[in-house]
Amino acid sequence: MSNKIDNEVLSASPNKSMQRVQASLARRYAKERRFRRMGISAVITGLLFLSLLFGSIISNGYTAFWQTYIQIEVHFDAEMLDPQGQRSPEALSAANYGGLVKRSLRQMFPQVKKRSDKRKLYHLVSSGAAFQLREMVMNNPQLIGSTALIWVAADDDVDMLMKGHINRHKPEADRRMKDQQISWVDELLQQGRIEQRFNTTFFTAGDSREPELAGIRGAVMGSIFTLLITLALSLPIGVAAALYLEEFAPTNRLTDLIEVNINNLAAVPSIVFGLLGLAVFIGFFGMPRSVPIVGGLVLTLMTLPTIIIASRAALKSVPPSIREAALGIGASRMQTVFHHVLPQALPGMLTGTIIGMAQALGETAPLLMIGMVAFIVDIPGNVMDPSTALPVQIYLWADSPERAFAERTSAAIMVLLAFLITMNTLAVLLRKKFERRW
Amino acid sequence: MQTNTLYNSSATQPDNCINIQSSIASDDCHTVGNTSVKNPRMNCRNVDVFYADKQAINQVTLDIGRNEVIAMIGPSGCGKSTFLRCLNRMNDTIDSCRISGEILLDGQNIYDKRQDVVPLRAQVGMVFQKPNPFPKSIYENVAYGPRIHGLTSTKSDLDIIVESSLNRAGLWDEVKDRLNQPGTGLSGGQQQRLCIARTIAVGPEVILMDEPCSALDPIATAKIEELIDELHEEYTIVIVTHSMQQAARVSQRTAYFHLGNLIEVGETNQIFSNPRHKLTEDYITGRFG
Amino acid sequence: MNEMTEGHTVKRFDEEMQFLHRLVLEIGGLAQDQLKRAVQTLNDKDPATAREVIKRDQELNDLDIQADEEFINLIIKRQPMAKDLREIITISKAVSDLERVGDEVRKIAQLTIHIYDTDRSLPTLQILRDINTMANFVSNMLSASLMAFDKLDISRAIKVIRQDVELEEEYKSALRRLSTFVMEDARSVGHMIDVALGLRALERIGGHAKNIAGYVVFLVTSKDVRHDSLDAIEATLKLHDPRS
Repeated sequence: MSNKIDNEVLSASPNKSMQRVQASLARRYAKERRFRRMGISAVITGLLFLSLLFGSIISNGYTAFWQTYIQIEVHFDAEMLDPQGQRSPEALSAANYGGLVKRSLRQMFPQVKKRSDKRKLYHLVSSGAAFQLREMVMNNPQLIGSTALIWVAADDDVDMLMKGHINRHKPEADRRMKDQQISWVDELLQQGRIEQRFNTTFFTAGDSREPELAGIRGAVMGSIFTLLITLALSLPIGVAAALYLEEFAPTNRLTDLIEVNINNLAAVPSIVFGLLGLAVFIGFFGMPRSVPIVGGLVLTLMTLPTIIIASRAALKSVPPSIREAALGIGASRMQTVFHHVLPQALPGMLTGTIIGMAQALGETAPLLMIGMVAFIVDIPGNVMDPSTALPVQIYLWADSPERAFAERTSAAIMVLLAFLITMNTLAVLLRKKFERRW
Repeated sequence: MQTNTLYNSSATQPDNCINIQSSIASDDCHTVGNTSVKNPRMNCRNVDVFYADKQAINQVTLDIGRNEVIAMIGPSGCGKSTFLRCLNRMNDTIDSCRISGEILLDGQNIYDKRQDVVPLRAQVGMVFQKPNPFPKSIYENVAYGPRIHGLTSTKSDLDIIVESSLNRAGLWDEVKDRLNQPGTGLSGGQQQRLCIARTIAVGPEVILMDEPCSALDPIATAKIEELIDELHEEYTIVIVTHSMQQAARVSQRTAYFHLGNLIEVGETNQIFSNPRHKLTEDYITGRFG
Repeated sequence: MNEMTEGHTVKRFDEEMQFLHRLVLEIGGLAQDQLKRAVQTLNDKDPATAREVIKRDQELNDLDIQADEEFINLIIKRQPMAKDLREIITISKAVSDLERVGDEVRKIAQLTIHIYDTDRSLPTLQILRDINTMANFVSNMLSASLMAFDKLDISRAIKVIRQDVELEEEYKSALRRLSTFVMEDARSVGHMIDVALGLRALERIGGHAKNIAGYVVFLVTSKDVRHDSLDAIEATLKLHDPRS
């Protein structure tokens, strides 16, 4: 039957089949156009969401890069700082700088008498102002007895008010800044004693309970140490494993099993690696909690499958003719792999590694399990110092109720994204560089 | 119709040979023609090759003479390339491949446990179907073999080897001014000659060529054929080719493979003018299938 | 047609080979017909028809040229190997032999014209008798060799080769008989030379028939036997006989 139909179609005169083709052309082109439109709209939707994401993060976060400062006049009263006149560092460091700041504020607003009002007044400047003064005195004890105009960081509520995040028209009870405080701020503003400056604290300080004192340096250093550990372990191990599996291992049940398990490992939720790290590295080996070395080990476990799979794909893409060529003139297997196959596969391997690293950089869950979620003020100096990591820092700040932490969260996300984009760009550049060699 | 007058009585038997499995133990598949030569470079005795359970080569016995070009022809999947790759143990890289029988190079069994494949492959070089220069410079391509085998100790010795190899491959004049440029930038025919230069740089005795011209245009092919003609004064060349004209042009002896059997071997002139086996005749006159 | 020309994967190759094969038979048929008619003109004392025969030789020449073109085209297109190559070479040689047969036939027709289109006295019929018998013999040889070619029949081909030996004997004795005629009557010497040339032409035709038979042996056995002795040929043949 079908033969008959075929014959009919075949026996149709060329003219007739041309007519049929013409008739179906419009439909075919319409289909093609529809398909193309669908593709374009998918891309546009994706871009739209992406720009929405970036837009909201940037619009929320860009203000975090500025910080409000208040100028106060401080008299470094020798009576108050060093009643004994010893000028010893111990005495100086233990002195009451907070009182110094408070006195300055009282002098600036002498009309404030009530105790509760005074407390409100003290809230205008950050608690960090006292530390700032101490540092100045510690560095230069000659300051004692003199009077200076000093810019100190404003409290986060003042900062928010200045940035317009606190609505003056709301009922007084609903806002964190009371009418009285707002009037003081306005007064200071008129005197030119309030200013917005670039927020260097954000990049140089560790975490803090006070938003205006909180920075990401600690988290960045923690992330860098963690990633260094991860890179140092996962790149050689991953590449070696891939090389062995792809070039040397015989194909048998065992290697099949290993291959399947590596693929499975890549799909294991990252928190499971965290639990594993907790149990093995901290529980069994007794390593300290919250340290980058444990974080690096855990992230190594998580990144290894990615690197192995990417490296194997890179090795597979090296044409077998190169291997044959090398073997054919009597190169040993090792020589073949290291002289010819590896150099060809390296760009792909590096790309895979950097993508794995980027993944590790953004990973939170396993780090939570091994305690890198702790509140750590000090900036870690080596891989054994307790620290946190950028995504964990973001997670912590996102949890904080203060409005000022919300913008710092976004700012931290921007920093993280900047790192990710840099790494991906590096991956692309490396690949291009290696591929262009020939 | 007096078909029978055409062939001797053995010609009616090849039908039995087509089923390899049934013929393993039988003597039906005697190769037609003289498989031995005087003072051979390589002797293959009853070579069987299996890929897993599938037999790819069945009881092939063949001598390869000194300074001769021997061509292997046959339809696709007839085992000629497999057999060629047995001669320098390139099949070792395939896990499922099993070989029995013996292959001697200058009287030494190359499948002996004591035989190291690395020096073997230096003795029996190989040129592949697709030109496959390393993604390195022309100089490095040729110098690589001598370097890994430690054939030279000084740079100037290496330079001499590179120049003479390129010279013998007929490529020196074309590339002497750009030795540091990548080998992959050459034309297909030049790349293949570079591969030949790379092979002869390690000083082999036998050169295996697996369809060396199938990716080349006729002019490049002619240059390779001319090269083969020159090289066979120094080397033994075993060439697998799909082009019967090429086999006729370059070789002194020709072997015809069919479904893993060596059907016929003989002087090239005899094979192409008066093959004795019906399968050979059908293949070379284009009556296959 | 036969296994020499059939069975190629490229069907067009079969057709071209068969066309050439038929072309040989066609040329052979034409040559045979020419031979028969030329001899007939001698018997009929018909110089007019003899002229026609001579004219018709042009057809044979044209076919020869056509065949040559076909060989070249076929070799260019197909690059024949082994038995295809032998078939082509056999056909090519057979065609040129047949063309020469045509030339020899022209000589016989010329003989008719010489004898009957002049005012010379006519020869006795006795002189011409040998021409007739030899023409018959040669014509049989020619058709046998063509048959052998068509059917790839070695035994028939061998028979033609053997007949050529007989023909040689026949030719020699005919020449001896002619010389006795000359001795009897010296005036007939002019005719005698003409007739001798005719006999010589017939002997040459027989030779060409033998060549064609030799090509058939070469085609089938790939042994060139044209210059071998009969015994050697038969030895070769035995090698190829399935019953031996």
